[in-house]
Amino acid sequence: MHRAIATLLIVVAPLPAAAQGVVRGTVRDKDRGPISGASIAIPGTTLSTRSDPQGAYRIDDVPPGRVRVYAAALGYGPIDTVVALTGGDSTTLDFSLSPAPLALPPVDVVSDRVPHFGDRPATSVAQVTERDLDRRAVNTVDEALDHVSGLQMVNGQTNVRGSTGYVQGLNSRVLMTVDGIPMNQGDRGGINWDLLAVDEIERVEILKGAGSSLYGSAAFGGVINVTTRDVPAGLHTRVRLTGGMYGDPPYPIWRFRDSPGMLGGADVAASYGTDVAGGRISVGDRHSDGYRQQDQDDHLHFAGRARWQHANTRVDVSGAWAVDRYDAPLSWCARGECDDQGQVFQPFKVDTTERGARTDSRKGYLAARVRTTVSPRFAWTARGSWLRTHFVDLRRSATEYGVGDRLGAAGQIEAHPESTRTVIVGAEATFSAVTSDIFGTHSQSELAAYGQSEQRIGALRVSGGARLDFLAVDGGSLTAVVSPRVGATLNGMWRASVGRGFRSPTMAERFVHTTALGFDVVPNPTLRPETAWSFEIGHTSAPLLRFMRLDAALFWTEARDLIEPQVLLIPPDTVKIQLQNVVRAHIAGFDASVIAAPIPDRLIATLGYTYLDTRRRLAGDSIEGPLAFRPRHLLTLGADYNLGALGVGADFRFASRPERIELEGFVDPRRVTVKVLDLRAAWKPAGGPVEVRLLASNVLNYIYNLVPETLAPVRTVTLTAVWTH
Amino acid sequence: MRKILLLVAVVAACGGGLEPEPICARTLVGLCGTVRFRGTVPANTENVFIAAYLTFPQTCTDLINNRRPVIPGSVPFTDSIALYSVPLSPGVYDWVLAVWKKPGTLTLTPADTQYLRVAGYYRSPPPGDSSRPGVVTVPSGAAAGDIDFVVNFDSLRPATDFVTCTAQ
Repeated sequence: MHRAIATLLIVVAPLPAAAQGVVRGTVRDKDRGPISGASIAIPGTTLSTRSDPQGAYRIDDVPPGRVRVYAAALGYGPIDTVVALTGGDSTTLDFSLSPAPLALPPVDVVSDRVPHFGDRPATSVAQVTERDLDRRAVNTVDEALDHVSGLQMVNGQTNVRGSTGYVQGLNSRVLMTVDGIPMNQGDRGGINWDLLAVDEIERVEILKGAGSSLYGSAAFGGVINVTTRDVPAGLHTRVRLTGGMYGDPPYPIWRFRDSPGMLGGADVAASYGTDVAGGRISVGDRHSDGYRQQDQDDHLHFAGRARWQHANTRVDVSGAWAVDRYDAPLSWCARGECDDQGQVFQPFKVDTTERGARTDSRKGYLAARVRTTVSPRFAWTARGSWLRTHFVDLRRSATEYGVGDRLGAAGQIEAHPESTRTVIVGAEATFSAVTSDIFGTHSQSELAAYGQSEQRIGALRVSGGARLDFLAVDGGSLTAVVSPRVGATLNGMWRASVGRGFRSPTMAERFVHTTALGFDVVPNPTLRPETAWSFEIGHTSAPLLRFMRLDAALFWTEARDLIEPQVLLIPPDTVKIQLQNVVRAHIAGFDASVIAAPIPDRLIATLGYTYLDTRRRLAGDSIEGPLAFRPRHLLTLGADYNLGALGVGADFRFASRPERIELEGFVDPRRVTVKVLDLRAAWKPAGGPVEVRLLASNVLNYIYNLVPETLAPVRTVTLTAVWTH
Repeated sequence: MRKILLLVAVVAACGGGLEPEPICARTLVGLCGTVRFRGTVPANTENVFIAAYLTFPQTCTDLINNRRPVIPGSVPFTDSIALYSVPLSPGVYDWVLAVWKKPGTLTLTPADTQYLRVAGYYRSPPPGDSSRPGVVTVPSGAAAGDIDFVVNFDSLRPATDFVTCTAQ
């Protein structure tokens, strides 16, 4: 006991100021161009940072002696070096990284909530980088996520390795965090993809599999962590203009307007920073005519961020506010519901009885984070956040509204008692409240504590931890959920993990009372949390055949109490729809991704494939087919060719036809395979302030739907110009 | 790389997306035909739809529970003639009819009959007895076409004219 206390005191005790040094410098490529967003860290300590747009970095409070410094950036080979630092010295250490498209990208925030500079986590992590966002010229993050192996966006809901089906707007089995702060809606648990302007985003990391052991509810299927851009030193401005056009229906009999639909938008961001403080504001506006009847969308957003650094403490405050007014296209027109022109269905038109339906939506968040690096061995972080969503659905048949708030507070301690060991402990409290005419007035409290330790033993790195969550609805009794997890990596190439995830029902799922498909949807306050044990084993091979990197994983999830909509026959004479815990589910599969660079510096190709085998079991272990909305095969292909300032690329997505949908027999069962080809071109002179990008998404104008009676986007051509200063 | 691009081109070019589907499409498995409307459309008309029964219903419960499809589509009734199609499982159907509906939420129970009236039905073609329902065979993988009949809005008939209902 005495030894433990002594160790704790040593870890917590700050080093004398005179003993601390500074490592600073730049990270550049072989042509001396700055590399922005590179990770620079002193492994085994709390000390790390990222390079700014000029490639500059600075790490304070570095202990004297021989210090190992690690630098890495996506697409470049990492450098691990040692510098000798005398107490109080400031050392300049410049890195020159060589292109290495097959090198494993640095992963900073992962399931363990521990920085893993140079190491791979024990569970699969995919990354969407700033470059991916730029080259795809997307307006919202979800548009870029669709190209990630093992992930499918289904009308705004995220399906990671088969975790999620589709229940419109009532839940999410994937947790979204922004700079580590949970951002799922307080009432419905969903994700507001348009709350963050894409220009604010530096990168996205997707943790696949049950990550609840440290992240808690909603991380049932995975975690999507968005890292926003830091505020660099100096004055910076960025203007982004987008204009485009939607394709017409490919068959004249589906035409619904005389001229093509247009879309356009503008985003402006400005920032100023010094070594001590900085701030950024941005504003953006978008309009879209939509690609189908009654599909207009107007979007306006504001965002801001500020940072302040004093000694070894850093404070970050960020916020955003978005206002949307969009038409609700509802279901497509079936025979007789519109001017059907003798067709069984008109996918571009809507039921005339719901013409004029629209949604007004306002949402915003405010978050603050304080991190103090007490010593190279000890740091603590505290954060608070508030997320508000407000929607009003205006329909001819009914007007519905909902106001949801999510307040969160958390604290975490990161300790490195030895260079080979990391310990994380933390606690979180979340309070969610909703006021709505379809969800009622309710609240939900979640209290959690978690801990994780990680130990390196030679080439083996082992981690283990657990999280304990207490949930209470409307101040009622607490429900406890325990989520343990263990993982290991070997040589950074092999990985294995086992974990238990859970998802608490959202208040929308418990208390929704509305109508759908002509039937009443009734509440079910007795819903239990969904739980799942997930297993994964994976391997990374690089280089393979000299020009490829292969990452493959086998995964297996056994889930209980999944929440799905059921049709109820309630005696004596009523039919209703209710969300119930009805299913035990088995989700197993294989996930592989390949990156190939057959012509270094010029051509990069990617391939991602996921095979899913899902089984849904009702009471008594009777097997009743696959889970709804889970395609058995998901395939993504991509290629980029660069020649000087010019670049061209292509992406292809394939998803097999889902074998089962929810409420079959009550909705139009039409569904097809997904085969979408995107083409793009870019012109970006080296060092120039302007870049221009042309994107043709769904260039073959393939007409498909992901959910019943809802047409997916058609061919869209956009031209984006970005000016950066 | 060329092989990958070729694969993409082949897969992307093989079609398979949603396509226009006219009434009586070649891909339809079910039945289709025309409905001719006569009489004055009642002011409280919400919908007209086509339903089919494998065996002629004997009770109100049969009438509701055995209806195919469970959730009906609708047939435009503002013109004097309308094309219709109904996806159905292959089989021999004893009764194919047009149902008139007034406003009200269907519950898939006998209580639904309060909102519904028999508006017309497919009749046995010559040389059969044209006062009796005609039998329709939906072949496997194809549609039964030319299942034409008349709806007379002036003589909408309650379910009890055809089946026994103990309660409504």
